[in-house]
Amino acid sequence: MSVLIIVFLTAVVALFSGVFEQGKFARYIGILGLIIALWVSFMPECAFFGQYKHMYDYTANTALFTKISIVTTLLLFFLGGFAFSNHRSHQSELYALMLFALCGGIILFGYQNMVTLFLGVEILSIPLYVMAGANKTDLRSNEASIKYFLMGAFATGFLLFGIAFIYGSVGSFDLYKIQDFGVSNPHNVMFILGVLLILCALAFKVALAPFHMWSPDVYFGAPSLITAFMASVVKISGFFALFRLMTIGFGGVTEEWINVFGVFLIITLLLANVMGLAQTNAKRMLAYSSVSHAGYIGLVFFGMTSLSTYNLAFYLFAYALSTVGVFMCLIYVEKLKRETSFGAFKGLAKTEPLLATVAAISMLSMAGIPLTAGFMGKFALFSQAMNSNHGVFLVIVAVLGSALSIAYYLRLIISMFFFKESTFKSSEKVTLTYNIVAVCIIASVIVLGVAPDLFAGVFGL
Amino acid sequence: MSGLLLTLLLLPLVGSGLVFAWKDKSSKYLALGIALVQMLVTFYITADFDFTPTVDSVLQHEINYPWSQFMKSSLHFGIDGMSLLLLLLTNILAPIIILSSFNENVSYRNTFYGLILLMQFGLVGVFTSLDGLLFYIFWEVTLIPIWFIAGLWGQENKRMEFTTKFFVYTFIGSLFMLAGLIYVYNHSASFALTDLYNAQLNETQQTVVFWFIFFAFAVKLPVFPFHTWQPDTYTYSPTQGSMLLSGIMLKMAVYGVMRYLLPITPLPIAGISGQIVIILAIVGIVHGALIAIIQTDMKRIIAYSSFSHVGLMVAGIFASAVITLRGTFNIEGAEGALVQTFAHGINVAGLFYCCDILYKRFKSRDIRQMGGLAKVAPKFAVLFLIILLGSMGVPLTNGFIGEFILLKAVYDFNGLAAVIAGLTVILCAVYLLRFYGKAMFGQGDDAVLSTVKDLSAVEFSVLASLAVFVIVFGIFPQPIIEMVNSSLKFIYQSMVS
Repeated sequence: MSVLIIVFLTAVVALFSGVFEQGKFARYIGILGLIIALWVSFMPECAFFGQYKHMYDYTANTALFTKISIVTTLLLFFLGGFAFSNHRSHQSELYALMLFALCGGIILFGYQNMVTLFLGVEILSIPLYVMAGANKTDLRSNEASIKYFLMGAFATGFLLFGIAFIYGSVGSFDLYKIQDFGVSNPHNVMFILGVLLILCALAFKVALAPFHMWSPDVYFGAPSLITAFMASVVKISGFFALFRLMTIGFGGVTEEWINVFGVFLIITLLLANVMGLAQTNAKRMLAYSSVSHAGYIGLVFFGMTSLSTYNLAFYLFAYALSTVGVFMCLIYVEKLKRETSFGAFKGLAKTEPLLATVAAISMLSMAGIPLTAGFMGKFALFSQAMNSNHGVFLVIVAVLGSALSIAYYLRLIISMFFFKESTFKSSEKVTLTYNIVAVCIIASVIVLGVAPDLFAGVFGL
Repeated sequence: MSGLLLTLLLLPLVGSGLVFAWKDKSSKYLALGIALVQMLVTFYITADFDFTPTVDSVLQHEINYPWSQFMKSSLHFGIDGMSLLLLLLTNILAPIIILSSFNENVSYRNTFYGLILLMQFGLVGVFTSLDGLLFYIFWEVTLIPIWFIAGLWGQENKRMEFTTKFFVYTFIGSLFMLAGLIYVYNHSASFALTDLYNAQLNETQQTVVFWFIFFAFAVKLPVFPFHTWQPDTYTYSPTQGSMLLSGIMLKMAVYGVMRYLLPITPLPIAGISGQIVIILAIVGIVHGALIAIIQTDMKRIIAYSSFSHVGLMVAGIFASAVITLRGTFNIEGAEGALVQTFAHGINVAGLFYCCDILYKRFKSRDIRQMGGLAKVAPKFAVLFLIILLGSMGVPLTNGFIGEFILLKAVYDFNGLAAVIAGLTVILCAVYLLRFYGKAMFGQGDDAVLSTVKDLSAVEFSVLASLAVFVIVFGIFPQPIIEMVNSSLKFIYQSMVS
């Protein structure tokens, strides 16, 4: 709870700092606030305000996910100086909105009540609608914003509808009361209807097919740093919200939704990876890649063990790190070339070897090549899912998906590395912060891939 | 004594880092030096190795550290006779491969040599790891450097599509292997080799696991019909890439079949699956050899010949396994396959290097445009012939003994199969002698021939060192057979029990 308050206050201060100086202050304030929040989240005392009127419950898992989302946001803030340097005005608002969205995420990590869930989802989403349209003069950005908003409104409708059904059958918003009801009345039609509606709503939020239609356009249109935020922090929040709801709230009626969810996963894994293959633009490719990762992460619901939460956190963190890694490269290219087709990356390795390396390692991690964090994450989820009833089939689909995915990741790596002459001018170097972030990401991806147990050691389990 | 194995593992890794950072012209000498030290350490381990077949534990130089409690996996390495043979192959070929590029002006040379050493690190890891997850990781680690080598230094026009095809193909295979290993792991206590061997699986489960894991090996070997990536990749890779791929990397799969597949899934091998594999392998033998006959591109000839030879190894391994599972203990096929593994590695690397030499002389890979080189390059003619004869399996060359034992094992399984598989000997002579005849004799273009020189010092030393192995192991194959004997007995016994 104290972490939430700190992030919120930081956001407010960052918002008002725009009065004095566009952007710079807000970014520094944001970085400072996030570091404090991170520090607090590592302290045992952060259980202060731990349980709040059955609305919010700050558990060990909440802390774990809060930490990884703050770390990811922090990395994006470090990149912000370079990414937003073209934005003449309204930078402080963007930073503040990112922090507000993070508040929504943190609420989602610890909600114990459907109302809190709804609040969290909305606090997470509304800033995103605005941020997606941050490039006011760009038509695509406007399209992204309106599309995201309309689809988000739909999802909200589903969510509210579902919550209404649940309340109608249970008579309470409390997550644990819902769980008890599910255990004792597993075949209540109204209740199951509510469960499925909420499942659909959250599938919208985490971009699981067939509710992913908005995501490629929105990811493509939004400013790249915001896209990175959506693909990393929003995915972490959305998935843990889903996880918490489905395992605690609807844990008693698992067999009623798990098959539906499995179908979502199969569609996601095949569709997203096939569509990813067809892309000619790196940013759109990454959007489809992000959708496909929702499919892999979804495997966490199959063959659940006591380690599932940990597996989920590990995968999400590995994925978030890689996302930031690829997007920092993409932001650089977009800034210099004003486009992000695969061709625009040609010969990047010659002028910016570090940047090309971080993108390559991140993508290898996303594809699940060993000695990267992504491999360990995939391994954990696959081996967990393999234990469930239809797990073998799902894992085969996921394996095929991964195999397809490597082909489109390789295209970008080929563009960056396999051309003798560079299309970049060597005078346009990236900033020092950028290089430091790149080194940090490379190091973390490889260290987590070589010594996965460190994750538990650092973030606490 | 585990320090020696640790040296073997870490030397190429540290070495590749050094070479990457060494932005100097002399990086190739540094790489060669590291590879030579590695070779000497391997020789020392071999000399020091206890080959007595009565040794209870076939493993020596074991290293075992806990790694990840979540994955239930440990850093467990060790060497038995089979590992040792493949380590010898890897570490003998690696310096030769590095040396073979000395005449060329390699672009980005420190990256090139760094990648070769990184590849060597992965290979040593594959051949020594005694933990399923570790094996998979090293298996994949070898893929990245070879992909970069093939992609960055390959034939300019076509390399992209073929290297991507190669990567995607092998990656799909590997992922299926991962799925198979995870499946076994979920039924065993950990990823440790003995736990994987003792996993409680019924026949249906074993069949699933068998085909999952076999798919990865079938792609890498390659076994018919998973071979379509291979001729293209071999053709468009740089010479060193082809040597690495066909000489060593392919042997990972031969090793994997014996170390993992046979003991983990004996039931389907005793049943229909084992026979399907033998049939596929024999189809591959004939198919590959027939296609090799009509090829005009010399690298494709070698690629298809390699495909054909590998088919015989697979047929031999599985023939022995099936015979053993039917009640008569038989390790001949596996022995022959390992002898052949060593011989084929040497021969095929030599043949690819000869192709490179021919390409430099004639500026073409088309054998129809060659001829008459023997007149102006007698040294090359002799060394090329020795390696060629080795590849054909002529008696007193290293290829003969392996082929002979393999055919015997296949004969014990089924006479007709042995007759068909035996065609490889005849067909191989057809395409290789045709290749040799065209290139070295026949009507040459005098204008080209007048400018051609015989072997340079580097070329001579590479080919001569390979030719020595061809002859020495052709006359004395016994050390190899003794080296692998006890570990093969152990593996085939754990398959039955």
